[in-house]
Amino acid sequence: MTLASANFGLLPSYTVIGLVLGGTFALAAIGLVLIYRVSGVLHFGHGAVAMFSTFIAYTVSVEWGLPSILGLFAAILFGAGLGYAIERFTIRPLRDRPALTKVVVTIGWLLVLQTLAGAIWHNTAYHRPVQLVSRSGFLVPLVPGHLIIGYDQLTTMIVAVALALGTAALLRYTTLGISMRAVADDPESARLWGVNVDRVTAASWMVGSAMAAIAGVLITPLISFTTFALTLIVIDAFTAALIGRLSSLPLTVVGAVFLGLAQTYPRAFVSNAGSGEVATFALVIVTLLVLFRPGSSRVRVA
Amino acid sequence: MSLLEVDGVSVRFGGVRALTNVTFHVNRGEIFGLVGPNGAGKTTLFNAVTGVVRPTSGRISFDDHEIGHLKPHRRARLGIGRTFQNLQLFGAMTVLENLMLPVDAFARRGLLSDAFRLPMASFEEKRASERARAMLHFLKLDGIEGLRANDLPVGMQRRVELARALCLRPKLLLLDEPASGLDARETAELAEALPQIRERFGTTMLLVDHDMALVMRVCDHITVLDFGEVICSGPPSVVQADERVIRAYLGEEVA
Amino acid sequence: MNDTTATLRRGTVVVALVLAVVVPLLLSDYYQFEASEIAVLAILALSLVLITGFVGQISFCQYSFAAIGAFTVGSLSGGHHWSYWLALVVAVAFSAVVGILVGIPALRLSGLFLAILTVAVALFFDRFLLAPGTWDSFSGGLEPWRIGRPSFFGIKLDGPYAFYLFTLGAFAVVAWLVWNLRIGKTGRVLRAIRGSEIAASMIGIDVTLWKLAAFGLSAGLAGLAGGLLAADIGAVSPPSFDFLHSVTIAAIVTVMGVESIGSAAVGALALIGGPELLTHTPISPDYFQLIVGVVLIVQLVFAPQGVVAKTAEDVKKLIAKRGGDHTSLSPNATTQQMTKVHT
Repeated sequence: MTLASANFGLLPSYTVIGLVLGGTFALAAIGLVLIYRVSGVLHFGHGAVAMFSTFIAYTVSVEWGLPSILGLFAAILFGAGLGYAIERFTIRPLRDRPALTKVVVTIGWLLVLQTLAGAIWHNTAYHRPVQLVSRSGFLVPLVPGHLIIGYDQLTTMIVAVALALGTAALLRYTTLGISMRAVADDPESARLWGVNVDRVTAASWMVGSAMAAIAGVLITPLISFTTFALTLIVIDAFTAALIGRLSSLPLTVVGAVFLGLAQTYPRAFVSNAGSGEVATFALVIVTLLVLFRPGSSRVRVA
Repeated sequence: MSLLEVDGVSVRFGGVRALTNVTFHVNRGEIFGLVGPNGAGKTTLFNAVTGVVRPTSGRISFDDHEIGHLKPHRRARLGIGRTFQNLQLFGAMTVLENLMLPVDAFARRGLLSDAFRLPMASFEEKRASERARAMLHFLKLDGIEGLRANDLPVGMQRRVELARALCLRPKLLLLDEPASGLDARETAELAEALPQIRERFGTTMLLVDHDMALVMRVCDHITVLDFGEVICSGPPSVVQADERVIRAYLGEEVA
Repeated sequence: MNDTTATLRRGTVVVALVLAVVVPLLLSDYYQFEASEIAVLAILALSLVLITGFVGQISFCQYSFAAIGAFTVGSLSGGHHWSYWLALVVAVAFSAVVGILVGIPALRLSGLFLAILTVAVALFFDRFLLAPGTWDSFSGGLEPWRIGRPSFFGIKLDGPYAFYLFTLGAFAVVAWLVWNLRIGKTGRVLRAIRGSEIAASMIGIDVTLWKLAAFGLSAGLAGLAGGLLAADIGAVSPPSFDFLHSVTIAAIVTVMGVESIGSAAVGALALIGGPELLTHTPISPDYFQLIVGVVLIVQLVFAPQGVVAKTAEDVKKLIAKRGGDHTSLSPNATTQQMTKVHT
């Protein structure tokens, strides 16, 4: 590990990168928490769903040359559809089984999607990122150093914030959202009150997976765009979700942003690309131990 | 010196005071009863004695040792055994295996002698299985060793759990609602068995139960809890007649 | 009653051993090489059976422990020219220690979150610890370590069949040891801990110590597998020990049956044999993991205790129908038991 001469001048731009990264983590994490709270399943294949949808977007916009926005829509549709299929055909039939069995099913999906994607798009090949908005940016006044924020970075941040707020609004003000919260709290009571638990659960998977798809597309300019990297975004989503105690959306977003920054900052000082991983790992351990003492009844394990 | 001394023990969970300044002593060889209406704190007290719950204040000493800082398995090794209100048998294992475990815990051999099938290991296996069978015989449970614990009727499960706790050769046995789920005949058998256990093994017992008839019949000394506090303590005749006790139960049958 | 099953089991083992010794003798060098890989991975699978099947803790980082073993051997024996055997001993010890370290936070976590922890461990290894630039003297940096074949009490193990016999022997010994543990006190204690931790502590079992010991043992076994793999392949590089490998072997062992020692062997056979088989079909071996994923999902619905365990059960039922045997012998393995969630 070589210590690059501490480059404080780059700190502002690293901050921007960290925030953007955190924004995409937040989207993925929100989707994960939604799925977990409503259906009780910790979806290990969440990243794989994001990855596959993103590659659909890639095929549409980069390989076929259509406008990237169409690629994004394709990804969203595909993600929602895939989420629905997974829930409807491989999770719902296992309704009475312990939670961990369903989680192992999601592991199976991780393998399936990862391998399939690798076969179709080749695992290690370099893929041009899906560029929704132009890379060029504008100079930010008043900030020391030469800080340029790309329009794509700005867009990602805005989208992340908008969707996070949108999800909050969904949960608070719409019938579907309220039903979701009811099911998250107590599925049996919700059923007694007339909530169609199956439909709500399916919806949560669709929304959650759609958000994963968006996160995946938005993250492509930031990380190495390989099947592995995207599938493994799930662990970043997990970390953020854990910081949010798997229940609080605002905390999840905060955690995601924090994680994004924690992963990016070390790069300013240490040239080893993996140095950010230490942050993730440390955060996972700390959150698991500090926030999840045994007997913690806040977390629902269906 | 009493075998078990609980002095000024209080337990708080968040804002709830489960136990407040509870004091009582259990003498060797006694069958000691702990009663009280639902929610009085009896199970919490058991949990405090066995080490599952940490008292917020007070002292617990067993056999002249202060045990407040000891983890549950160490207290078990010192000689405190317990049965559970909601039956904690190892359901998937056979009765024999359930009973061999307390001996296992004390056995000197470790992973290595197990793995290599050293003579010590097979010797101790035999010893554990013999002790288990003897205990089954004593509690009139012969013939069921090979059955899975989960497959037994409740009455038998309770006896197996009792047998398992006894295989520990405890000096003090905590019985948490041992009559729960038993019919009249089984309860009567339990009432007979407890003094027999004391006679045979010298075990001191601390009994919690709702069945007042059982408690009055079997116990030498009773302490009554209500809302986490001791409201009365004495031999059955005294407790039975105590006004506070009668009021606490309000309509529940006292003897 | 019990005897019929016991005899059948002994018979199966003997037959399997005979086949295992004789069949590869008739195969080409290449297949013999694969056979030794199978034997070594069977040890790795066994470490998984131990931690997941016996103790009930899910692990997605067994290959990371194997990596510790492999790279210790690689750096000590390949890099610093230590005796292979000495390096192997150090490797196993080192992996065991790391296993215990991972076990410490794991003690407080229920199954679900433990799984996340192991994923984090695996990724931490992949992306940081074993990445070039972090600890090159251990991971070898960009250059894979090269390890030569050792000799075993004077017998050179260079030839593929000789080495295969050695690894087969290693697996047989390890399997025997693990089997003894399972039927003895250790197995009982671990099952008790899985049944009810609180009841276990009430009868004097130090749950913490046992769990940590199990973690250490499992990681040590994985490290042993890694060290043997190093000698088998002759070179170690990080990508062969990544997260995806850990997930795949966990999936295969789950499909086969996480509580059965036999599944470790069959699982390893599937792990190597599967892709090998695919090369003879129009389907590319790259699709192997996909098939594993699909089989896993399907199996969870129809045979939750795993294919090997289910087969064993069906055979026993068949015998029972004939012999009137009503006692259930094996600690009944279901994924339900494995997945008992401690909230």
